[in-house]
Amino acid sequence: MGRHPVYRSATVLEAKEEGRDYLDLLLREPEISQTTRPGQFLMIRAWPGVDPMLPRPFDIMQADPREQTLRLFVKVEGRGTALLKSLKPGTEVKITGPLGRPIEDFSCPSMAFLVRGAGAAAVVHLAEEARARGIGVYTILSASAASRIVCRKYLEPVSTELLIATDDGSEGYEGLASDLLDDLLRRKTVDRVYTCGSRRFARHVQRLDREGRIKGFVFLEGLMACGMGDCHGCAVQKNGQGGYFLVCRDGPHFPIAEVVL
Amino acid sequence: MIDTSVEIAGVTLPNPVLPASGTYEVDEVHAGFFSPSELGAVINKTIFMNPRPGNPPPRIWETPCGMLNAIGIPSEGLERFLADQLPRLRSLGPPVILSIAGNSLQEWQDLAAAVDRTGSVDMVELDLSCPNLEEGFIWAADEAALSRVVASVVKVTRLPVISKLSPNVRDISEMAVVAERAGTAAVSMVNSYQGMAIDIGTRKPILGNITGGLTGPAIRPLAIHGVFTTFKKITVPIIGMGGIATWQDAVEFLLAGATAVAVGTQNFVNPLTMKEVIEGIAGYVEEAGFSSVRDIIGLAQE
Ligand SMILES: Cc1cc2nc3c(=O)[nH]c(=O)nc-3n(C[C@H](O)[C@H](O)[C@H](O)COP(=O)(O)OP(=O)(O)OC[C@H]3O[C@@H](n4cnc5c(N)ncnc54)[C@H](O)[C@@H]3O)c2cc1C
Ligand SMILES: Cc1cc2nc3c(=O)[nH]c(=O)nc-3n(C[C@H](O)[C@H](O)[C@H](O)COP(=O)(O)O)c2cc1C
Ligand code: FES
Repeated sequence: MGRHPVYRSATVLEAKEEGRDYLDLLLREPEISQTTRPGQFLMIRAWPGVDPMLPRPFDIMQADPREQTLRLFVKVEGRGTALLKSLKPGTEVKITGPLGRPIEDFSCPSMAFLVRGAGAAAVVHLAEEARARGIGVYTILSASAASRIVCRKYLEPVSTELLIATDDGSEGYEGLASDLLDDLLRRKTVDRVYTCGSRRFARHVQRLDREGRIKGFVFLEGLMACGMGDCHGCAVQKNGQGGYFLVCRDGPHFPIAEVVL
Repeated sequence: MIDTSVEIAGVTLPNPVLPASGTYEVDEVHAGFFSPSELGAVINKTIFMNPRPGNPPPRIWETPCGMLNAIGIPSEGLERFLADQLPRLRSLGPPVILSIAGNSLQEWQDLAAAVDRTGSVDMVELDLSCPNLEEGFIWAADEAALSRVVASVVKVTRLPVISKLSPNVRDISEMAVVAERAGTAAVSMVNSYQGMAIDIGTRKPILGNITGGLTGPAIRPLAIHGVFTTFKKITVPIIGMGGIATWQDAVEFLLAGATAVAVGTQNFVNPLTMKEVIEGIAGYVEEAGFSSVRDIIGLAQE
C-alpha cells in the first residue's frame, strides 16, 4: 500500500441530506482512508453508463483509518451531485484517490481558516491534523444565512476559536467574514491563513499576504476530467511568471501569492 | 493461450492496446493503477519544438457522453522532453511511440530528425490533426499540406511514421490514402471532432479557445465508420480510437479493421480501462475460438 492514487470501489455507509442542497456522504474504503493526507481530494463516480461521463472532484473532508471511512461534504449543484444525493446506503461507488498534494508543513504556532459555504469541507482534515499537533486553530465560517452554515459540527471540536458571519445577520456577525479575520489578526498571533469557497475572501487574503501580515493559501476549484495531471484541463494562471499550474497536480491548495485569482 | 501481439510497420506490440496521445501519463502518479509494462505501446503527449503554455481556461467542458477540450497542447519543448521524459518512457518496456507536431515543414523535419537521433524511439506519430491550436491550422485537413509534411518527414527519419488523421474533413479515408502515398507506415484515427458549447447565461462560448475538440463515447460510431471505410482503401495498418470505454468497444474497432486501438478520454473516467481492455480483447478472441488477435482484424469487412 503506497501513497499513489488508486481506483477503488467504495461502499456508501451514510448519505445524509442537510437542508435542501447539501449532502454528508460517508464511504467505506480500506485503502484511501489510510493513505490520504490533509489537503487531498478524490474523484467519485456513482452512476453506471457514460452519461454523465466524468467523475466529480471532492475534498476528502475526513478520513478514519481505523473505521476505514472517508467523509465528503457535497453541495448539490448539477447532474452529478444530484445523482450523489440519491445514493442509498449499501451502494457501490467508484473513487480515485488520494489526489493532489498533501499539506505536510505544520511548522507554525497557529492557523486560521476563512471559508464560505461548502468550502469548509476543504479544511476539516487539515484543521484536525493541526489540532492533533497542538497548533492553534481559528475558524471563520461564512454563509449567506444561518441555515447555510455547514461543517460546523466537524470544525467546532478542533477549533481553538470558531467565529461565524452571515450576510443577513441571522447568526453571528452580520457582514463580511473577512472583517472577523482582520479583527482576529489584531487579537491573536496567526501566521497562516487558508481560504476556500469565495473569490472575494481569497483576494482579501492575497492582500494580507502581500502586505506581509500572514502567509496565505487558497484552495482552488477547476474543471477537472482526470484529477491527476493527464488532461491539463484544470489550469490556473501563475502569478507573474506566466504559464499555468494544474489545480489537480500542483494544488488544489496554493500559496496565494503564486496564483491569479 | 492466444497470441495477443500485433505488428505495426515492423514493430511488434505485445498487445494491441495503447494510450491515446495526451490522455495518460505513464509517470509516478500512475504507478498505483497497473504496470505500464502491460501496455501494447507507450506514447507521450504531443511535443512541440519550443515550450508553449497552452490555452487559457476554461479548457474542458463535459457534454453528453463526451467532453470538449481546448487544451492547446502545453509543452515543455523538445529538448527538455528528450532529457527528462524519454529515458523513463524507454525504460518501461513496451515499444515507444513519440508524438510530435511542427509549426512549419522545417520544424516537422527538425523534430523527426532529433527524435530519430535519440535512438530510443520505435515509431514517430505526427499529430497532424489537433483542432485546438491558436494557429488554427489542421495539416491533416488539407491534402497538399498533409502530403508535404508526411513526405518530408519520411525523408529525414528511418523510423516508421504514423500519421494521426483528423476527422474534420469530408472523407477521412481519402486523407489516409494521401498519407499512404506520401509514405506513412501507419495511420492513427481519429483525433477529436471540432465542436463548441455556449453558456446561455453569459451568451458567450464556454471554452477559453472558443472552439474545442469532442471526444469520448459520443464520437465512437463516427470513428468506427472512419476506420471501416479506410480499411478497404489502404494497405498500411490503422490504429483505431475514438470513444473506447470498454473492451467491447475496442473489439468493435478491431473488427472494423484497426490493427491496434488507443484509449483516450476513458482513462480520465477509469484509470484501469486499458488493462481491462487488454484482458477483455484476449478473452473475446479466445472465447470466439481464434488463436490470435490478428485473426479478428477487419472481420466485419467480409
Ligand atoms: C479539487 C476540488 C475539490 C472540490 N471539493 C468539493 C467539496 O468538498 N464539496 C463540494 O460541494 N464541492 C467540491 N468541489 C466542487 C465540485 O466538484 C462541483 O460542485 C461538482 O463537480 C459539480 O458537479 P455537478 O455534476 O453537480 O455539476 P454540473 O454543473 O452538472 O457539472 C458539469 C461539469 O462541471 C464540473 N463542475 C461544475 N461545478 C464545478 C466546480 N465548482 N468546481 C469544479 N468542477 C465543477 C463538474 O465536475 C462536471 O465536470 C470541488 C472541486 C474541486 C476541483
Ligand atoms: C484532453 C485531451 C488531450 C489530448 N491531447 C492530444 C495530443 O496532445 N496529441 C494528440 O495527438 N491527440 C490528443 N488528444 C486526442 C486523443 O489522442 C484521441 O485522438 C481522441 O481523444 C479520441 O479518442 P477518445 O475518444 O478515446 O478520447 C487529446 C484528447 C483529449 C481529450
Ligand atoms: S484534472 Fe486533468 S490535469 Fe487536472
